[in-house]
Amino acid sequence: MTRKIHPAVVSAQPFQVANLRPTDRLFEDEEGRDRLEKAISRYPDKRAALLPMLAYAQERNGWVSPESMQQVAEALDLTPAYVNSVATFYTMYNKHPTGRHMIQVCTCVACHLCGGEEVFEAFLEATGTVPGAMSEDGKYVVMEAECLGACGFATAVQVNDRYFENVTPETVGEVLARLEQDGGE
Amino acid sequence: MSEHVVSLTVDGVEVKVPAGTPVIQAAERAGSVVPHYCYHPGIPSRPAQCRMCLVEIEGQPKLQPSCVMIAQEGMIVHTQSEQALEARRSVIEFLLLNHPLDCPICDAAGQCMLQDYAYETGQLSSRYEEPKLVLGRDRIAEDILYFADRCIICTRCVRFMEDIAGDNSLVVAQRGHKAYIDTFPGQELEHAFRGNIVDVCPVGALVHEDFVFKARAWDMDTAPGICAGCSQGCNIEVNVKENQVVRVKPRYNADVNGYWMCDEGRRHLVMANRGLRLDVPMIRRGDVLEAVTWSEAIEWIAASAPWGAGGVAVVHPGESNETLFALRELIGALGIAGGGYRMSRGEEVELPGFPRLKLRQDRAPNGAGAELFGFSETDAVPVPEAGQTLLVAGDRLLDAGSDYGAQAGFYVYLGTHMTEGASSATVILPLAGAGEADGTYVNFDGLVQRFHQAMQPPGVARPGWMVIDRLLREVEPDRPPMRDVAAAFGSMAAATPELEGLSWRGLGLKGGRTAGRATVTGAR
Ligand code: SF4
Ligand code: SF4
Ligand code: FES
Ligand code: FES
Repeated sequence: MTRKIHPAVVSAQPFQVANLRPTDRLFEDEEGRDRLEKAISRYPDKRAALLPMLAYAQERNGWVSPESMQQVAEALDLTPAYVNSVATFYTMYNKHPTGRHMIQVCTCVACHLCGGEEVFEAFLEATGTVPGAMSEDGKYVVMEAECLGACGFATAVQVNDRYFENVTPETVGEVLARLEQDGGE
Repeated sequence: MSEHVVSLTVDGVEVKVPAGTPVIQAAERAGSVVPHYCYHPGIPSRPAQCRMCLVEIEGQPKLQPSCVMIAQEGMIVHTQSEQALEARRSVIEFLLLNHPLDCPICDAAGQCMLQDYAYETGQLSSRYEEPKLVLGRDRIAEDILYFADRCIICTRCVRFMEDIAGDNSLVVAQRGHKAYIDTFPGQELEHAFRGNIVDVCPVGALVHEDFVFKARAWDMDTAPGICAGCSQGCNIEVNVKENQVVRVKPRYNADVNGYWMCDEGRRHLVMANRGLRLDVPMIRRGDVLEAVTWSEAIEWIAASAPWGAGGVAVVHPGESNETLFALRELIGALGIAGGGYRMSRGEEVELPGFPRLKLRQDRAPNGAGAELFGFSETDAVPVPEAGQTLLVAGDRLLDAGSDYGAQAGFYVYLGTHMTEGASSATVILPLAGAGEADGTYVNFDGLVQRFHQAMQPPGVARPGWMVIDRLLREVEPDRPPMRDVAAAFGSMAAATPELEGLSWRGLGLKGGRTAGRATVTGAR
C-alpha cells in the first residue's frame, strides 16, 4: 500500500504506529523515495529532513533500527553516528522493536490519581513482560507514557495510534481481547 | 586608542585586548584563570554548555559565560565574586552527582580539571543521597577506552573530531544525565589524529588503552621533545616513568602543531627504542666482536682507521643536526666524498581544521637537516668495493643481510640497534636513541627546533655528536671540544651559513628559522 502525502504533512504522520508496512530498505520503494524527496524539499538543508525521516522509519517498522539509521544517514549525507545521536536524544523514537501492539499506559498526574500505576502493572502481568521489552511472541510492548492529553478519561492507554479510555485493571483483559480480535490495525 | 583594541578591568587589573577577544582570554591576560570545561582554546566551536566559566560583569543582571562573552570597552569583570564562586560551586555539585569519584584508580588523577576545581570549591561531601547512575565503559577506538561515568559531557572530544578532524562519527548519545559519548554501534573511531580526543578530555573519561593504569601523573618525569615520526616536527611532551616512555602528548606550538599531534607520532617514541639495543662499544678481534670501553674503542679507531683513504657512507635522517654535522666532519676526515641517506615514506594525512599540521610523507624528522649537511637521498645502502672503508650511522639496515659490508676494509657502524647488517662491522659504536639525547632537527619548513633528553640511554650508549667529537679530537688534538650540546650547536652554526645567528639558547622551545630556508627544504 502506497500512501501519497502532501509535503506539508510529511513529518506529521502518526509515527507511533507499529508494523504498518515493514521494510528492510526504507528508500527503495516508491513510497520511500517519495517521502524522502518531499521531506528534503521542505528545508534549505538536507540535514533538517532527519527528524521526519526517522519518524518515517518508525512509521514503517514500528521502531528505528540501526539499519534504518544507516539508511537514513546515507540518504541525507550524514554519518550513522550523528543519526544515532539524534535518534537517541528523542525518547519517542523507539530504539527497540515494539511488537505488534505498543501499549503506552499513561501514569502522569490525572491518570496516576485514577490508578494508572495499577493499570500499568496489570498490562505487564497480562502480557507477561517487563517495561519496555517485547513479549516473546512479538505481540506486545508495554511502557509508561507521559500525559496523553486524555486526562478527562483517565486512565488513558494508547495502543499504536489508537486510544482506549477509562481503562481499569479489570478492563485490561478486554482491551487485549479487542486487540487480538482486530489484529494490528 | 585604536578601535581594534578594547580595554577592560578584570579583578581590578586593567588589560587591553584585541577587539573580539572572549572575556575568558582577557581574564587570563589579567592573571585570572577562569575555571572552564567546554571551552578549549584550540577548538573553534564554543557551545557554552558547561556553565563553569560564569563571571560577574558589572551592569549585567545575570552571570555571563566568559568563554563566549566578548570583551567590551570599559567592562568591569569579577571572576572571584561571591556570586560567581557560588555558581561554580553549584556546577561542580551537579557534575559530581553521578560521578564515581574513582580518582584513586583514574589515570587523569593529578591532571584532572574536575579534581582541581572540585578541590578549589572546597565541598567536602555530597548532599546527594540517591544511588548513582552507572553507565559503564566502552571502547571508542582500537586504542582508546571511554569511562562513561567520569564523563562530564563537555563535548570537547566530539567537537575536536567535528571541527578539527572533520569527522562527524563521534557523538553524544542519549540526553540529560544518561548522555554519553559514542560512535555508531559496532563502529570504532578511525582517524589518524583521533588520539587528540584523549588530550582534550578535561577529566579521565577518555584514556589511551596502552596508558591505562601505567603511571600516576606525579610519578612521571617530563621532557620537552620533538616528534621524530615525520618531517612536521610536532612539539611533544615525553612522559617517562622508570626510564620508559609511557606517554607522548602534544606540546603547544602555534607555528607547528598547535595543540595537536597524530597517532603515528604518539606511538613512534614508544616503539623507537624497542628491540635489541647496542649498549657498549665493540671492536672486531678475529671472528668476534668484543665489548670494550669507550677509551679503548676511540684510541683503537684513531690508531687503526684508514684516515683519508676514502670510502662510502650512509647516515640517517633521524639523527640530530649536531650528529649529522659531526658525521660530516668524520666522513671528511676519513676522506669519503659525501654520503647518502635513506628516507622512508608514507601517505600524507591532513588535519582539515588545522591545515598547518599534516602527517608528512617523509617519515623521519630531519631530512632537511641531512640535506643541510650535504647528504643526499639514495634508495639503497652503498656497497663498498673490496678493501674500502664503509661507515653506517643510524640506518638500521633492515634490508641488509649478515654479509653486508663483509668486503669492506674497515666498517664502522654507529647506531642504536644490533642488526644483521652490522654483524661484519669492524667496530660498533652504541648511540643514544630517540628521546635519549638533546639536539635539534630542521623540520620540513626550515624551522630548527630543540629537543631534550627524556631518559637515559642503555649502558654506555652516548649521543652521536659526543662520540664523534671525542674520536676526532683523538685524531686532531687541537680541535675545540664540543663540551655540551650548546657548544655542539655553536660549532655547527659557526660552520653553517644557513644557521647563522642561531644559538642553542636563542632557539628556546619555539625554534628558529634557518636563513634562506628554501635551500634546506628538500623535505616533503
Ligand atoms: S569524554 Fe571527556 S572530552 Fe568527551 S565529553 Fe566526556 S569529558 Fe568531555
Ligand atoms: S604529524 Fe609527524 S611530527 Fe607530528 S606527531 Fe605525527 S608523525 Fe609526529
Ligand atoms: S494524565 Fe493521563 S492523559 Fe493526561
Ligand atoms: S567554558 Fe564557558 S560555558 Fe563551558
